[in-house]
Amino acid sequence: MSTVKATRPLGPPSRLRRRFKPVKLASFITLLLTTFLMLLPLFFMVSTSLKSKREMLKFPPTFLPESWAWSNYTDIFETLQFGTMYKNSLIIAGLSVLGTLLSSALVAYGFARYRGRGNNFWFILLLSTMMLPYPAIMIPQFVLFSKMQWIDTFLPLIVPAFFGSAYNIFLLRQFFSTLPEELFDAGRMDGCGELRMWRTIALPLSAPALATVAIFAFIYSWNDLLTPVLYLSSSDKFTLPVGMASLTSSRFRIPPWHLLMVASVLAMVPIVTLFAIAQKQFVEGIVLTGIK
Amino acid sequence: MKKIVKSKRTAILLTTALTAMLALSGCGGGKSAGNVAAGGSGAGNTSGSGEQVTISHYTIDSEDRTFIEKLIPDFEKAHPNIKVKVEKAPYEQFDSKLQTLIAGGNSPDVTSHYGYGGFAEYYNKGMLLDLTDLIKEDGFKAEDYNIPENLMKIYTVNGHTYGIPVNMYVTLMLYNKDMFDAAGVSYPPSDYEDKSWTFDRMVEDAKKMTLVSDDIAKTQYGVDFTWAERDMRPLYFGAEPYSEDTWTNGGVPSETHFDSPEVIAAYQKLFDLVFKEKVSPTSEWSKSVAGQNGDPFVAGKIGMSIGGSWNLAGANDFPFKIGVAAVPWGGNDKVRSTLFVDPLLILKDSKHPKEAFEWIKYLMTTEVQEKSIALSGGNPPVNTEAAEVYYKHFDGIDPGDVKKVYEGAVKYGYESYNHLITNYSQINDMFINELQPVETGHKTLEEVMPVIQKKVTEIIRR
Repeated sequence: MSTVKATRPLGPPSRLRRRFKPVKLASFITLLLTTFLMLLPLFFMVSTSLKSKREMLKFPPTFLPESWAWSNYTDIFETLQFGTMYKNSLIIAGLSVLGTLLSSALVAYGFARYRGRGNNFWFILLLSTMMLPYPAIMIPQFVLFSKMQWIDTFLPLIVPAFFGSAYNIFLLRQFFSTLPEELFDAGRMDGCGELRMWRTIALPLSAPALATVAIFAFIYSWNDLLTPVLYLSSSDKFTLPVGMASLTSSRFRIPPWHLLMVASVLAMVPIVTLFAIAQKQFVEGIVLTGIK
Repeated sequence: MKKIVKSKRTAILLTTALTAMLALSGCGGGKSAGNVAAGGSGAGNTSGSGEQVTISHYTIDSEDRTFIEKLIPDFEKAHPNIKVKVEKAPYEQFDSKLQTLIAGGNSPDVTSHYGYGGFAEYYNKGMLLDLTDLIKEDGFKAEDYNIPENLMKIYTVNGHTYGIPVNMYVTLMLYNKDMFDAAGVSYPPSDYEDKSWTFDRMVEDAKKMTLVSDDIAKTQYGVDFTWAERDMRPLYFGAEPYSEDTWTNGGVPSETHFDSPEVIAAYQKLFDLVFKEKVSPTSEWSKSVAGQNGDPFVAGKIGMSIGGSWNLAGANDFPFKIGVAAVPWGGNDKVRSTLFVDPLLILKDSKHPKEAFEWIKYLMTTEVQEKSIALSGGNPPVNTEAAEVYYKHFDGIDPGDVKKVYEGAVKYGYESYNHLITNYSQINDMFINELQPVETGHKTLEEVMPVIQKKVTEIIRR
């Protein structure tokens, strides 16, 4: 959409516009087809979520449900402790976003605005942590948290977010580096402390980048399966992905795909909402950080 | 100045508290990771003093496994000094969480080989507690719990017992009655002694029900013969791929014979069902038709399906009438069914093995085993008395047939290799990968089997 808008002011006057129309129409149709293709799995997800257990087994599968089983949407709350899991996931993801934003923005600010001895060394060290696969640190980290008596609590899922993550720090550092030095000089002249400059100058100007980081952090935490599986053991503490993985866990039963689709539809809601709210910032964030 | 002093004090307090916490928890962790004999006898003493202990039972997070949660209140009432906590993980993550728990000093007390890894793998990694002394001390007798003696032997290595069998799944044949009726074929027998029920007759019956059409929706096949894991299938025709000593020494075969003419001929017979007789679907067709459900039989596209008795549990949901039958005779007079006997195991790092054993005994009692059938939605018990209840559990299936099929399966059954051979998850992955081109018809068995033979040898020596 934005590309269409951007070309219009530069575009030729009305006489020429007509000549461009077939091309536009073709691209419009292509877009429409791709959109349709992209939406098809999504459509099947919603459609399956409204089928009865018996209909779900049918081959060839029905396109639309024969009888609309709206009760699936209430059944899920009985099959799984869906409400509790949803709440747990929201708490963990919410606090993770907060932690990631605070810590990563602070560290990134430091890397972007200070020049000191070994600056690059530390930054490279930080980035190299990105190359460590999770399984490599899985057991040592588990031993650490288990000695801190954090097993079967949310802490191992939330606290690490408050200690920054390399990718987000990198992303924010790149953004902070683009802010003109003059702004901070002005702040300094007005007697602003570093923390205050971070809070009142750097952060408000970086809304797009922060929105990007927030969405990434949210999606990461929301989708994470392995960490909650390792650290949580009681079902009243489980998160949504654990509950959903458990739905297909039985080797002996036909998985209740219709309920899994219900769970998936409902699990999408926060991400879609978040994206809708932050869309403008998000797209800007990708454009800005991506280009520079 | 005052401020600094104050903050210093809190700092000291905090550090002390943290150190204390670390030291305390470190102590517990150290003990569990330390030697097992000391932990075992220590636990014996604590139970004598009536001290409250908590044991954990680690299982898969699915309804047919977590039903044990509902059995805990009664157990705790009878054993006021023992609390049971159920820890769980989804199937796919079961093994990795177990390994992490053990490595992290948080080993559960009771579990089973519910993940990809089997008993032999746990045994060879030294994860299991030898129950022999516990059993002797307790006076536990398998017959008191109606556990057949031959099932106890599965988890006994060199005279030492490492597990108590709790559930027994068998391999049986499910058939689609609607499809048999439509083709006018008589139902297959559930009696294993019926000598007319042979592999060749099964193929003849299957031919009458097979209908291959350009319209994928109309296509149906007579039989899907996926007997047990891939490396086990030759056994059905009497060919033995692993040497005898495998079963006596903890699951490490000294020799394997996957490139022998007998084994290759056995596999050939199975692949002939797909490519020569054309009564069985190709793996691609199965995948496209079965889709998410993974089993074309469930979609009503297959007449007969050889599979685990767990398929029975879902039978009430199938959109067609279903029956159970014996696995036909394929040339091996002794073996016609695979048994999947799940044991309850106590892990070596358990801090309270004695209490864990109390819990296991409770789960084995006839009353609890009977209750578990309905609670789990149809888990078959090893307890022969409780089994009578199990036979009647399935709507629309004749209990007499279920009983006959079970009894025949026990008589002609062989414990599944996945529980008995070391490094089994790797062997299994390798088999799936290497046999893939044969299943799709791109390679011949003569090309593939020598490679498999070489790779199996490598994996076993690991």
